[in-house]
Amino acid sequence: MKETILKLDNVTKVYPNGTVANRDINMEFEKGEIHSVVGENGAGKSTLMKMIFGIEKPSSGTITYKGQEAKFNSSMDAIHAGIGMVHQHFMLIPSFSIVDNIILGDEPTKSIFIDQNEATKKCQELSDKYDFELDVTAKVSTLSVAKRQKVEILKTLYRDAELIILDEPTSVLTPQETEKLFDQLRQFKQQGHTIIFISHKLEEVKKISDKISVIRNGVSKGTYLNEELTMEQLTNLIIGRDLDSDMDKYKTHEDFNNEKALEVKNLYMEKNNKPVLDNISFAVKKGEILGVAGVEGNGQQELVKCITGLEETAYTGDIFICGNRVNDFNIKKRRDVGMAYIPEDRMNDGVAGELPISDNLISTYYTREDINKKVFMDTKKIDEVSEELVKTFAVKTKTAKANVNSLSGGNVQKVVVAREYNTNSKFMIAEQPTHGIDIGSEEFVHHKLIEMRNAGAGILLVSANLNEVMNLSDRIIVMFDGKIAGYFKDANDVDESDLGMYMLGAKRQSIEETGGALND
Amino acid sequence: MLNNIIETIFSMRFLLQVIRLATPIIFASIGAFVAASCGIGNIAIESIMTFAALAGIIGSYLSGSAWVGVIVAVIVGMLTALLITFFSMRLGADPFLIMIALNTFADAVAIFILFQFTGEKGSSASLATKSLGVIDIPIIKDIPIIGEIFSGQYVLTYVCWILVILTFIVLYKTPLGMRMRACGLNADAAKTAGINVERLQKLSLALSGLFAALGGAYLSINYLKIFTKGMVSGQGWMGVAANGIANGNYLSLILSAIIFSFFRAVSIIFSSNSSFPTDLVGAIPYLSVFIILTVVSIVNYYRIKRGKVEEQ
Repeated sequence: MKETILKLDNVTKVYPNGTVANRDINMEFEKGEIHSVVGENGAGKSTLMKMIFGIEKPSSGTITYKGQEAKFNSSMDAIHAGIGMVHQHFMLIPSFSIVDNIILGDEPTKSIFIDQNEATKKCQELSDKYDFELDVTAKVSTLSVAKRQKVEILKTLYRDAELIILDEPTSVLTPQETEKLFDQLRQFKQQGHTIIFISHKLEEVKKISDKISVIRNGVSKGTYLNEELTMEQLTNLIIGRDLDSDMDKYKTHEDFNNEKALEVKNLYMEKNNKPVLDNISFAVKKGEILGVAGVEGNGQQELVKCITGLEETAYTGDIFICGNRVNDFNIKKRRDVGMAYIPEDRMNDGVAGELPISDNLISTYYTREDINKKVFMDTKKIDEVSEELVKTFAVKTKTAKANVNSLSGGNVQKVVVAREYNTNSKFMIAEQPTHGIDIGSEEFVHHKLIEMRNAGAGILLVSANLNEVMNLSDRIIVMFDGKIAGYFKDANDVDESDLGMYMLGAKRQSIEETGGALND
Repeated sequence: MLNNIIETIFSMRFLLQVIRLATPIIFASIGAFVAASCGIGNIAIESIMTFAALAGIIGSYLSGSAWVGVIVAVIVGMLTALLITFFSMRLGADPFLIMIALNTFADAVAIFILFQFTGEKGSSASLATKSLGVIDIPIIKDIPIIGEIFSGQYVLTYVCWILVILTFIVLYKTPLGMRMRACGLNADAAKTAGINVERLQKLSLALSGLFAALGGAYLSINYLKIFTKGMVSGQGWMGVAANGIANGNYLSLILSAIIFSFFRAVSIIFSSNSSFPTDLVGAIPYLSVFIILTVVSIVNYYRIKRGKVEEQ
């Protein structure tokens, strides 16, 4: 007989603006289990977790924690009760040491001072106990993403959390790192911790969970034992229909005379006296998708910034977009010669949240003649264009005049993709194009990318999501430590764990082998 | 003549002058720094100093005690700071607008109040007020050179340097300071660690007001012993500028404040030398702020270009 640690009874959350995030959710979590909560973006998972962690209060219904009704006023109360949460966006202070990040809010003291020796000892013991292999005196800014996540987990353990909520923990990890995380989660389970695991990646959910709860449109679709659900059933529960994930069959293979949409030669850049881009050369041909795989922080961001013109640090090497050397071009000029860009950080770099969808849908080509009459903008034409795009991209909104901020993450991304799609560019950079959006929207974005590819655009796909890279790409390069560590001429011949080895630097190809990225 | 000036700069008298001039600027600097390290840009330092300087002189006049004057100044300074938090955190106004408003009307309000008490608009000279004096430290005062530097300074100058050290200890060695800095570096991280960010920000702004108020009180009760119109004359802004240059580094904060004081002292020497146009000479300290800020931003720009800047 297992003991129930957390119970939700008819939990409903209605926001002041009338949005119903959760309706009558009933769920039960048992001590010592790994329990996944899955659902699309905007389905209400995050709100539910915020209520459990005390950041939001339920409008009605009760949350029972360890047999007592939990009325948390803030996350402080939840932390004291023994609930820890690892947020999707790390809540760390990069310029602090690991120790300081862990003890923040609950510092050991000697008279009025922080007892650094005691703190360091405690944190190191904790790290060693769970085989985290961290030097706790290191600054967080020097750590890899995987290690930062370990720090986040240590934070919850330091506060003696019995129930740990992990929000999308694997979105930034390689398969090997994910495997390691799962080993650790299983270890926690052995020791009696309860894990609530939130993820979009259904393979992982199937791999790690004891139980799976599904939320769709704010309503619970039931809790199931992992073994009684097949992948297809799970997908069906989440999106309410079957998913079509095989992208290869949509690809057409026209010949675009091997014309190059992008050519990068000998790109080199230093930061903190360390090369972050080390002699990178590759090309993207028209009508193909070149996938860039790699763990975050291995130079992909800098690469994208160099190509788009956002980079401020000096670099050497040549970048050609559709045959034009663009090193000295500003962003506008690069776009004029045929570049489109889906940025990773859609809220900050992709849209202006306070402005209407329609304005956001034309913001990268507002000077185009059909919408810009010499002095004034052609508002009628803009309305036409935006209504059309909203319809074809199935953006969930009543009108294109609504502010972008009112949309859910998946729909904001559709706005960005719709805009970039509508530029009819011959070269597109898609940076984490489906990061943090639900499988329904993800499928849609993928189809649009394939459509652009078939129409002759060259697409550079940078993604930490391996399935995405493998599914969409024609060719793949892997970045590690600022270099191209591996090149695969045919994405269909690549196996996931092999790719992971290159991503972690365990394997590396010779310069002759990776040279194909430019010359094939 | 230039020789004369150079000679003066290397004299003991000049050093003492720098120490005296540095006190209010350092108060202003640590005031700006505590608020900034908790994530609030306090640009109202200048006006808080003005209010506190006047409140101090009036307090001292009404009570007949200079120390009561200092306490009144501090209370007024902290209340002004809390007024900012009331408008910004409770009523949801933009804190910068509030602070700009405060700075804009500070001088006028001060003169209005001064007029109510004295019937004059220029200074508080007609009020019989008490002021704080200097402290002679036994033994040390008899040591040559060291005695001149460390003994016989104004009371609030000692308070200032003690607070410089205390502020450092609190910010970098205690849980409270660590939490405050966490709020400034990543408020979300602080919040999820269970820290009440808003409360700490209020506290930091109150402390900021306290330091600025002591700077104002030093001017009116300790150094000049009188309130005059426009007496703060940009010293609060120099504190804000020093904080900008320091960019989170406490040592460079204090150094910047001292450099500004140095230029203020230089400007005073030049202006006592009648052969220079006084308006131009009076601009020296402000020009120094401008030039130092420009140089610092250029250096930072190239550090970023060369990729040498670490993630904050």
